[in-house]
Amino acid sequence: MRLNRRNNIFLVLLILLLPAIKVSGQEKYPDRPITIVVPFPPGGVADLTARPVAAALEKVLKNPVVVVNKTGAAGAVGMSFVANSKPDGYNLLMALSSISIIPEADKLFDRKPAYTMDQLIPIALISADPTIFVVNASRPWKSVKEFVDDAKKRPGEISYSSSGVYGTLHMAMEMLIQGAGIQLKHVPYSGGGPALTALLGGHVDTLASGPAVVIPHIKAGKLRPLASWGAKRVASLPDVATFKELGYDIEFYIWAGLFAPRGTSPAVMKTIREAVKQAVNSVEFKTAMEKIETPIAYLDAPEFQKFWDKDAKMLADAIKRIGKIEIPEAK
Amino acid sequence: MADTLHNLYIGFSVALAPQVLLYAFVGCVVGTLVGVLPGIGPLAGISLLLPASFGLDATSAIVLLAGIYYGAMYGGSTTSILMRIPGEAASVMTCIDGYEMTRKGRAGPALAIAAIGSYIAGTVSVVGLMLLAPPLASFALRFGPPEYFALLLLGLLVLAYMSGGSMLKSLAMAALGLLLGMIGIDPMTGFFRFSYGLVELGDGIGVVPVAVGLFGLSEILLTAGQPTAPEVKKPKLKDLLPSRQEWRDSLWPIGRGTVLGFLIGIIPGSAHIISSFVSYAVERRLAKDPERFGHGAIEGVAGPESANNSATSGAFVPMLALGIPSGPIPAVMIAAMMVHGISPGPLLITQQPELFWGFIASMYVGNVVLLILNLPLVGIFVNVLRVPYPLLYPAILLFCVLGVYAVNGSAVDVGIMAAMGALGYLLRKFDFETAPVVLGLILAPMIEMSLRQSLAMSSGNYAIFVNRPIASVMLLIGLALLLLSLMPFLMKSIDWRQRLGISTANEGEKL
Amino acid sequence: MTTDRLSAGVLALFALFVMWESRQLPLGTFRHPGPAYVPVLLASLLLLFAIFILFTASRAPKLSSLQWTEWRHALAIFACSVFSVFAIERLGYRLTMLLMLAFLVKLVEKRGWILSLIFSFSLSWGSYFLFYTLLRVPLPQGPLGF
Repeated sequence: MRLNRRNNIFLVLLILLLPAIKVSGQEKYPDRPITIVVPFPPGGVADLTARPVAAALEKVLKNPVVVVNKTGAAGAVGMSFVANSKPDGYNLLMALSSISIIPEADKLFDRKPAYTMDQLIPIALISADPTIFVVNASRPWKSVKEFVDDAKKRPGEISYSSSGVYGTLHMAMEMLIQGAGIQLKHVPYSGGGPALTALLGGHVDTLASGPAVVIPHIKAGKLRPLASWGAKRVASLPDVATFKELGYDIEFYIWAGLFAPRGTSPAVMKTIREAVKQAVNSVEFKTAMEKIETPIAYLDAPEFQKFWDKDAKMLADAIKRIGKIEIPEAK
Repeated sequence: MADTLHNLYIGFSVALAPQVLLYAFVGCVVGTLVGVLPGIGPLAGISLLLPASFGLDATSAIVLLAGIYYGAMYGGSTTSILMRIPGEAASVMTCIDGYEMTRKGRAGPALAIAAIGSYIAGTVSVVGLMLLAPPLASFALRFGPPEYFALLLLGLLVLAYMSGGSMLKSLAMAALGLLLGMIGIDPMTGFFRFSYGLVELGDGIGVVPVAVGLFGLSEILLTAGQPTAPEVKKPKLKDLLPSRQEWRDSLWPIGRGTVLGFLIGIIPGSAHIISSFVSYAVERRLAKDPERFGHGAIEGVAGPESANNSATSGAFVPMLALGIPSGPIPAVMIAAMMVHGISPGPLLITQQPELFWGFIASMYVGNVVLLILNLPLVGIFVNVLRVPYPLLYPAILLFCVLGVYAVNGSAVDVGIMAAMGALGYLLRKFDFETAPVVLGLILAPMIEMSLRQSLAMSSGNYAIFVNRPIASVMLLIGLALLLLSLMPFLMKSIDWRQRLGISTANEGEKL
Repeated sequence: MTTDRLSAGVLALFALFVMWESRQLPLGTFRHPGPAYVPVLLASLLLLFAIFILFTASRAPKLSSLQWTEWRHALAIFACSVFSVFAIERLGYRLTMLLMLAFLVKLVEKRGWILSLIFSFSLSWGSYFLFYTLLRVPLPQGPLGF
């Protein structure tokens, strides 16, 4: 073969294509790095939960597990990315309870949903943070009863912040509003951080928040917890009653769970589920979660599916009740 | 005072420990690299190294991440000055006069002043952080939606002073930028606005793709096909250092930029991005011959760069003093602390003095490290310009695509950059300024949100802006500034009317 | 036709387009602005500015005086950017950059084969190494493994 220009090009192309020639045979899962997609910015709940999971999974599977943040549209970007990706077990999703909210909100606005919940199958529930009802310490209410009484006297005057309309914190408050039959003023912010800052500055009166970020402020006396949305009392706040104890039948958790796209083969799912079960029980994982004050609430896929269905229905009902935010018509 | 010195001593003993020093250095280097790369900025850099920091002890981790933040601020000015490509959103203003200085062969002094201004601002603002953190933080906490609205309106007024060319055209560009900022989910009601089914546009068009596209990409679109390659004078050693005049001219801008940036940085939220815009406008307003701005005025580099860096320290004030995530970057730092079992809160300073003072001390150290890193690099960077342009611009394009993609891992962002590049090309051809578009884009969502939040808080009553002291004071200042800037127009129009009166009389005579 | 007349006209049209697109969103009232309120307000301002520009537009340079000599290169660069948008996740970072750089240096700038290939390879692979391998910036791999 002469070494002329044309043959050179063929050679170069051949060399470039070599990696594509895969040796056929049984491919054992996993044989490449697995990606856990976190649809939220780094430093948030989903991110902080995903990283210990990834680290522990890596040890169990003896295979790299990488966390990638794909943010946008309150999580919709990352969630739809995984929902639409190839179900080969290499793209997993660490989602929060808002996964059930986004398709409902889309329905409300007659939008084509970015993804639907049946595009994803649950692997395992990792954590479930009960939400805590906190008020600014300068405000007078010392108990839920006092608060509800005051709210009934002046409907629509007491304010609360949230991480955004139809966000998890909004949903939690919405349940209280329904359960207690009161009217509150909603001031949405973009994210949990700004919502908390607004409460600390006294620009709003109350907030429903995950425990980890508010506990330091409670300890410093800047915020006062009145109740929590969990079934049991929060471990680090033993004096704070649950809404259930106080007679309101409401429960709300900000939970984080692992999902895979529908269509992932049962064999792969079995491997992942086993690995997650082991990872969650490892010592390093437990210590890591303790440090970020997030209680582990592990549920394997079948139980998680039931939990998810129940939770999703509750959220869908709440969204339908809230409906579209009322915008006054110009007269 | 003695207490502070003692604490500082503890802090330095922590910060100068070899391991901590190493991580500060690593952070600064990585930050510089990340900052030099167009688009990808400190937030992306910190997010990338966040996992790596989990394995370290708390102080090293925080020092590493802070070093990246700092380094990115220093590095961001490099591409801005040399190639008119913003290293991150905050460096957009440096592009304007910095690049003009490069064209005149003064790239070295521009880079040097940027580095030195950054150093002075960084160090002074750390002192401010150290001494004033708690009281300043409490003040910052009083900023609610009405105060934000007033502040951001003030920021918009700044636009009037930013423009070199026609004020009307700059206002139109600002309106355009503000409109672009409307794309995305409406945070108050959940409606998707102007996103045309693209989920990725849910959060709106990012500032980074727009800035890189409007400035960097448009620059190579305009220059690549020029018959004569852009002239680059070979830098002599003495050309690398600022002249005495340039030193003198930079002094006050650095000072003002430092104070301004720090104050703006303290305010929770992403307001600190506008510190460089505000500084540019202030310098322009205060200069004796403002026409130099836009053509290589050193003040236009010294001010914004200093403001940038001191805003960085300012952003840490609420985070350290009160444990508030006052922006995306402090939020990541707080997360990093939580992972190490430290809960940031109002008691952080008293409960974890080694962390706080070690952090402060490491910022001093970091500033010195960056100055030492960047000054000699000035010579190296300037020589990059000597690569023949036909090879340089494809490389620039590669780094623009890389930088913009890396921020979110999104090809949509690259598409936005391409579209903005084409837009910037056309805008510059038709003699429009591009900086107001970026400022408008940044401000729009914040202004709209604070307005509607304020109205939500007051149930529709506009009096809320007047009833709150901070907000009303700022609005008054804004009003005063507006009137001041309109004075020349008012006087001119009286002139016109008089002239018109004369000519009408003449015409009457003719008839 | 002056430059300002054209640009002001385009801006005015854009403002009208925005107002048209906003009609599907609720406007709200002055006291309770809806999602369309501020966009319509801004679009009106833009329209206003564009009209004002039109008043002084006769003093602008003539449209025909604009130089477009660099348009071929500009078009090539723009085409490359658009190419990278679609290719970067399908072909992978390195391959996309390789093709893009080789195209620009070899075909647009008409340099030699060897220089083009060395330059393109080293920049694509080098930047990948620096940012993906060392700095762990996520960059996509294509079907061929790069």
